[in-house]
Amino acid sequence: MFFLYRKLLAASIRAQMQYKLNFIATAVTTAMLSSIDFLILSAILHRFDHVKGWNLYEVGLLYGLASIAVSLYRVLAPEIHDFERYIVFGELDQLLTRPVSPLLLLLTRNLELSRIGGAVQGLVILIVSLGGLAGQGRVTWLLLSYLPIAVLTGLMIFFAIGLATATTAFWTGQLKELQTFTIFAPATAANFPISLYPGWLKLLFYSVVPVAFLNYVPMLYLLDKGGAWPLLLVAPLVGGVFCWLSIRFWQFGIRHYHSTGS
Amino acid sequence: MVYWEIIRKSYRQNLQYRLSHLISNGASAIFGLIYIAIWFGVMSGKEGTSPYAMREMGHYLTFTQCTLWITTFLTPGLGISNSVRTGAVSFDLMRPVNYFLYVISHEIGRIAYNLLHRSVPIGITLSLLVGLALPANPATFVWTLLSLALAVYLGLLLFYLVGISSFWTTEIRWAHQTIVAMMLGLGGQMIPVNLLPDMLGKIAAALPFACILYDPAAIYMEKIPPTAIGLQAGWALVLTAAALTVTRLARQKVEIQGG
Amino acid sequence: MIEASGLVKTFRLARGGNGTLGALKGLFTRAYTEVQAVKGISFTIREGEFVGYIGPNGAGKSTTIKMLAGILHPTEGEVTVAGCSPQRERKEVAKRIGVVFGQRTQLWWDLPVRDSMEILQAMYKIDDRSFRDAMERFNALLDLHEFLDIPVRKLSLGQRMRADLAAALLHDPPVLFLDEPTIGLDVVAKNKIRQFLREINRTDRKTILLTTHDMDDIEQLCSRIILINHGQVMLDGTLDQLRAQIGLPSVIVAEYREPPAITGVLDGVEQVEQIGNRLVIHYDKRKTPTPRLLAEIGRWGEPVDIQMKEPDIEEIIRLLYGRVANPARLSYTSFSTWY
Repeated sequence: MFFLYRKLLAASIRAQMQYKLNFIATAVTTAMLSSIDFLILSAILHRFDHVKGWNLYEVGLLYGLASIAVSLYRVLAPEIHDFERYIVFGELDQLLTRPVSPLLLLLTRNLELSRIGGAVQGLVILIVSLGGLAGQGRVTWLLLSYLPIAVLTGLMIFFAIGLATATTAFWTGQLKELQTFTIFAPATAANFPISLYPGWLKLLFYSVVPVAFLNYVPMLYLLDKGGAWPLLLVAPLVGGVFCWLSIRFWQFGIRHYHSTGS
Repeated sequence: MVYWEIIRKSYRQNLQYRLSHLISNGASAIFGLIYIAIWFGVMSGKEGTSPYAMREMGHYLTFTQCTLWITTFLTPGLGISNSVRTGAVSFDLMRPVNYFLYVISHEIGRIAYNLLHRSVPIGITLSLLVGLALPANPATFVWTLLSLALAVYLGLLLFYLVGISSFWTTEIRWAHQTIVAMMLGLGGQMIPVNLLPDMLGKIAAALPFACILYDPAAIYMEKIPPTAIGLQAGWALVLTAAALTVTRLARQKVEIQGG
Repeated sequence: MIEASGLVKTFRLARGGNGTLGALKGLFTRAYTEVQAVKGISFTIREGEFVGYIGPNGAGKSTTIKMLAGILHPTEGEVTVAGCSPQRERKEVAKRIGVVFGQRTQLWWDLPVRDSMEILQAMYKIDDRSFRDAMERFNALLDLHEFLDIPVRKLSLGQRMRADLAAALLHDPPVLFLDEPTIGLDVVAKNKIRQFLREINRTDRKTILLTTHDMDDIEQLCSRIILINHGQVMLDGTLDQLRAQIGLPSVIVAEYREPPAITGVLDGVEQVEQIGNRLVIHYDKRKTPTPRLLAEIGRWGEPVDIQMKEPDIEEIIRLLYGRVANPARLSYTSFSTWY
């Protein structure tokens, strides 16, 4: 399986390099455009200092982590994200004639490398914010060493949400509208402290689309905002459980497809 | 008249997607709610330092969340790049109609559809949550309508210019994203332009981007005098001239190179 | 090699209302119509057989193929392919079959053909030696080397189909399912594909199940025909048996300079229709050889254009039900000759 993945990775890079100029332009604009959001935020906090007790660097930490996680999801799972087309045009049939699970095939089929721009932008914001926090003497080794875990948690959470959303296409045949609810809106919301939102939205971000766990929950402890250390363990655990649940849901969808053919 | 026919046809064409748009209206309202929540978080306890009260901020964001759908979320490149790619553009250019009017008529039908099926429901939803602001002076309604009309036209012009660039570049994705980011970032979607830091705020207010989301909203809320419409009209003239010039160049290019 | 017994597939189709309100209603309440696409199909295909699986659109062809390939699970009945059940052992069956859907490619759109092949090598765990041998064979039979390094999106339709066939056979499966492999191809490309299929059927003893609308595919390739309509097997036998059963008339359309004068009708001519300067003649090839009929046509007047048509599958189905062919609905599937 690893061999196959490496092969596909190399092939995918080669394929995208055929449109080199376009690739670079897209990557750079993606990175620039997502920075504009953050620049606007800096402008707001430049004037108003903090948002519910979170200063610019603290929000930047949340923002950077959420950006990296959602961008990595878009890089690694573009075929899950655009799964609709496999149902609408019947392309899933091809995958079901292969001796490998369709989920693995989808994951290995393509990498959307130009989305790396978004991850780089997130990383830059993360580093700048860490620099700012270091100036305030608030960067600990624990915080630094937890960051990779946070990225992984975020990737798991977005993958789980993305896969569960994609699975609904087995019944509805369309995804774009739902994705705005389940991926784009929560990803935007996760750029900021979850405490901002009204109760029912908060509830959603802690349960159905658990983006709270990718940055906000562990940072409550790491940035000393009233959280306790077990939160550091809870977050990745939630990510793992949601991944498992959405894979089960996906398998249920595949079985449904076998019996109905869309 | 032919343009009126195109507008009606394109309006009807959009009607078939009503159901999925109904769903995405919910999502758009949630986005609006997220921005409002962020601003409430930012301003809580600091209202005194801002020209907008917290409630007013909610009204402002509601207004822009509605006008986004008729000024900013238009078809990428107004669909010109697609017809360049398929070659249909040579037929469009050959038709005995003004190409610029032909293209924007098609989009105006969609805008009319969006106004009724997106802006209005989103506006009602968000108003239920943050309340409805009515201007004190009845004349403001007239000014707002005028300003909105110009804003829609300016949005069309910017998208047209991006679209027509595909005669030379084939790919407009990055140009489209850039122009949208400018319209959102410097146009007052997330933050009213007069709240931007000093120099940036002054520059942004003079650019055409602010004429699209910020000016109509600020005029409606009586935060700026209706004279801002003058700036909108000025930009409309400049960009119309640019659009017509570029159209002539594109026509020449097709005639010489055959598309 | 392939065994199907009592296959039934029932689909539930949601009945949608009209307009926004109807669509909204559909979200909450669901009314279903049951549609039986396949109603009890059974057949056994032995190793090395080349079977044409034919029928009009919507007869249940692709539903059957999808059940054989493990994409759909039958509502009732049993399938085994190369000794495995596609329903219970999908991955095992996948290793033993090759599938080509004529309308869609299984190759990676932006990658050169070679890369697609290497990915498939990894996917099916083919060792380097077998891979090299297979590629050499495809180079010889399909001229694969001519376009190995070209991205799939830049291939012609004929090249793409050759590449797709090679991809389906790379792991040397004993069974091959082909869904309209010659659709949209020109005569030269079709012939190349047919030659290749004949070769792997004869030399490698591959079992092949082919669906097609092209009677020439059937005539040149298939030793056996399974004809289905409305989800049921109408006929299972050889092409000759099919001919015997329905007569398969051929059609000649002749255009004359002036209205022709018909003098006597040959044996085997079933129907002659005259519309102004044009004659439409239905005849049985076995009773009246075409050259003889053509000579006769020449005697009736001065022809300016003569076209010959073969009935396609849709037409055969109509004939099977004993209805008279409607010349206006015959489609041009064969060729036209200009005089």
